[in-house]
Amino acid sequence: MSAEGDLLHTVTADDISENRKRLGKLMVWGAALLCAGLALWQMAFETGRVSSGFDNWRPVLYAYMLWATVLCAAQVMIRGEAGKRSLFVLPAALFVISLVIFPLLFALYISFTDWNLASADGPKPNGWDNMVQMWNDQFYWNALKNMVYYVLAVSVEYVIAFGLALLLNAQIRARKFFRVVFLLPLMLSPVAVSWMIGKSMLEVRFGPISRVVRELGFEPSFFGTPEIARFMIMAMDAWTFIPFMMIMLLAGLQALPREVIEASKVDGATGWQSFREVIFPLMLPVSVTAIVIRIIFKLKLADVIINVTSGGPGGATDSVTSFIFREYRDRSNVGYGTLLAMVYLVLIIIFVTLLLKLVSRWMERPA
Amino acid sequence: MKTGLYNYIRAAQKMNRRQMLKGTAAVGAAAMLPKGAAMADGHGNIRAEILKIPGVGAGSPTDSDWQKVGEMCLGATKENVAEGEFEGVELTFMGLNNQNLHNFLFRGFLKPWEAYTGAKINWIDLAQADYNARLQQSIATGTVDFDIIEMGAPFEGDVLGKGLASEMPDWVKEQIDMDDYVDYLKAPVGTWDGKTYRVSIDGDCHSFAYRKDYFGPDGIGGAEVPTTWQEINQVSKDLVGKEDPLTGLPAHGYLDPLKGWGGFGFYFLENRAAAYAKHPNSPAWLFDPETMTPMVNNPAWVQAIQDVMDLIEAGAYPADQINADPGTTAFQQFLAGTGSMLMWWGDVGSSARTSDTSVVGDVVGFGINPASDRVYNAQAGAWEDTRNEAPNMAYIGWGVYVMATVEGDEKKKKAAWSAAAHLGGKDLSLWASAYPSGFQPYRNSHFQFEEWEEAGYDRAFIEDYLGSNADSYNHPNAAIEPRIPGIFQYYSVAEDELAKGYAGQYGSAQETADAIAAAWEEITNQIGRDSQIAIYRASLGL
Repeated sequence: MSAEGDLLHTVTADDISENRKRLGKLMVWGAALLCAGLALWQMAFETGRVSSGFDNWRPVLYAYMLWATVLCAAQVMIRGEAGKRSLFVLPAALFVISLVIFPLLFALYISFTDWNLASADGPKPNGWDNMVQMWNDQFYWNALKNMVYYVLAVSVEYVIAFGLALLLNAQIRARKFFRVVFLLPLMLSPVAVSWMIGKSMLEVRFGPISRVVRELGFEPSFFGTPEIARFMIMAMDAWTFIPFMMIMLLAGLQALPREVIEASKVDGATGWQSFREVIFPLMLPVSVTAIVIRIIFKLKLADVIINVTSGGPGGATDSVTSFIFREYRDRSNVGYGTLLAMVYLVLIIIFVTLLLKLVSRWMERPA
Repeated sequence: MKTGLYNYIRAAQKMNRRQMLKGTAAVGAAAMLPKGAAMADGHGNIRAEILKIPGVGAGSPTDSDWQKVGEMCLGATKENVAEGEFEGVELTFMGLNNQNLHNFLFRGFLKPWEAYTGAKINWIDLAQADYNARLQQSIATGTVDFDIIEMGAPFEGDVLGKGLASEMPDWVKEQIDMDDYVDYLKAPVGTWDGKTYRVSIDGDCHSFAYRKDYFGPDGIGGAEVPTTWQEINQVSKDLVGKEDPLTGLPAHGYLDPLKGWGGFGFYFLENRAAAYAKHPNSPAWLFDPETMTPMVNNPAWVQAIQDVMDLIEAGAYPADQINADPGTTAFQQFLAGTGSMLMWWGDVGSSARTSDTSVVGDVVGFGINPASDRVYNAQAGAWEDTRNEAPNMAYIGWGVYVMATVEGDEKKKKAAWSAAAHLGGKDLSLWASAYPSGFQPYRNSHFQFEEWEEAGYDRAFIEDYLGSNADSYNHPNAAIEPRIPGIFQYYSVAEDELAKGYAGQYGSAQETADAIAAAWEEITNQIGRDSQIAIYRASLGL
């Protein structure tokens, strides 16, 4: 047994022969070559460069799986005990690469092709054409503008959620009952919410809310003008997800050290002062987490819009996702639709990274 | 003789066992008669009997009714398929679930067929708006995972043109009696390169439905029912501020759907545009057949868009109409008593009388697509002041197609075609056109008014309703839809641009139309202009 290295975590002596190491490497490279060779051959077949090939890409997939298995086995052959440890992670890493990285690369390729499903020619690489089209696409920019409104609405949701969390944290009667009731909207699928509320309760003629509005002497119209339609979408989405923020904030409130709050009361702080000077600052980390997660949810907003307004009137309620959905699904415009999704992904990554950076800078400030 | 059959006949004829045994000899003798003679009487009886299920005015039919009808219409299947012949065969059927019809009916109709043949059917149910995408993705990615599909003729370019369907065997043609189809559903519809692929289960055209209580000597809409789009717009404007005679709520005129419906909403602008744009001198009214240049921004189409914008401006629509898709205008508005005029497929007619949610059954009248006082001659580039009628054959009707996935397995192929033939059977289709089903009459035999009268329909109502369909089908200037690949992509992008136009985001109807035309040009370039021109010309018979 070696007297050096990681003695604490080593349970067996590794005396690996050079031949075994060579065999392990040979197996890995052999399987990799087989996989790459099959992939290149199939690609040549699909592009018409060779006359024989497989009916589909499944054999290439099998070769990849063989390579992955061999790679795992070779870890033990080459590195012994240390290789066994890496087996705890390697299969999961390979799985992620297969299902995330590869599709992402494939999507990147598709997004620079002209691929309409109705076209008999299949995908045709078209350089930067899709990007130019996006630059001139008013529907896309309009949807991005709407996303700004939708994301800004999170601040209002946060205020309401904080208020509700404070209420449910107070010593009120039937507190447990209200906690469950307030969580109910979160348990509903947004699709169900769009039908139950958007298409039924807000239905102009029969909807109970419309009837109440009519009884009050107004003519109900919930989706007739851009502003009101956008507000209604925000309201339905908020109704579903405010409980999510509320429950996070409530958990934060319950974890606050009671001594600090009680000390502020002893010092004569009013309720408002106690909230502003003690509770709110202490809740900042939880608040930021809740807001960031909620913004990420919001950036994916689509289901309510698709079901209730289809993006109308005139694109006023369109989100980027609902627009991409229409471009991709109704118009089978796979190449362009994928490019829009990729650009949106990049925008989201930049936005969330900046947001987290700003937040961390803000949080580091002395209170 | 089976116990079930014995019980059925005994119940029907009040026979006892002794009489029954006597009768079997006669049944045996009857079996020796030529097939046609034996069918004639039983066929007529079945038609009358199925129309009594559940009976007009007895509420919406249910699954047990569909199964009963399916059972009673199995005769044609039994002539070509032995009992249990398809034991072990599994088929996948892809269709729609609109208004809980379509696939829901097919399940009921095919349940007795499954029990008799031994085959099993798996179902893929799709919402209308999801249909196009699902089909296109299956085609483009080579993942056709269904053996039978309910499909409209507009998709024939996508499916038949790519060799994805199975050619109809001759025995099926005989079983479903294709000669009985109305003329416009015969070839070339349902065929590709001279081969037949389609079992029609529906005939489509948009017809005009109106509320009779709005019109007449004391009618709030005027003495006469409007027959032109110019009159319709005028009446719709004049009705603003009046009260609906049936519901007491605000009265409204024509109901244009202003929200998209996965591409299907564009048909409703087409209704208006057909009268202006479909000149009798050419079958082309959507694209120039020489160049595929869109005609959607010519003065005729612009007038149609302007008509809608005028009614929005006048406040003639119900509140929130901007968020009303075609399904809303028909089922939540017109049938429920809101609005007085509508263009829709023929099933609004049968639903008006037989659907539980309809309140207008006694006051609904029908006509063909309204005319126009003037028509645009695209070839001459000028308006002509002559009256023009052009019924819109929107969607050309649903059909059942068997996919090429069954080729190579004769048993499976026969099973798939037998199921399709059962759904497209002559008798079963009569029931489907008489009750809520999502389908409208499409055979000459569907227009025998006495059969409908016997079923409990009011003769005047049915002559009015069926007459509007027949007049549209047989109209010499019918506007027929092109069967070109990606047709719903054109419609879908048009819906988006129209939505912007209706919301006031474009300066004028012309700007809206120009935006649609530009988007259509892009789609044509993307799919391939030359191939689109060739298929478009073929579909127009040029």
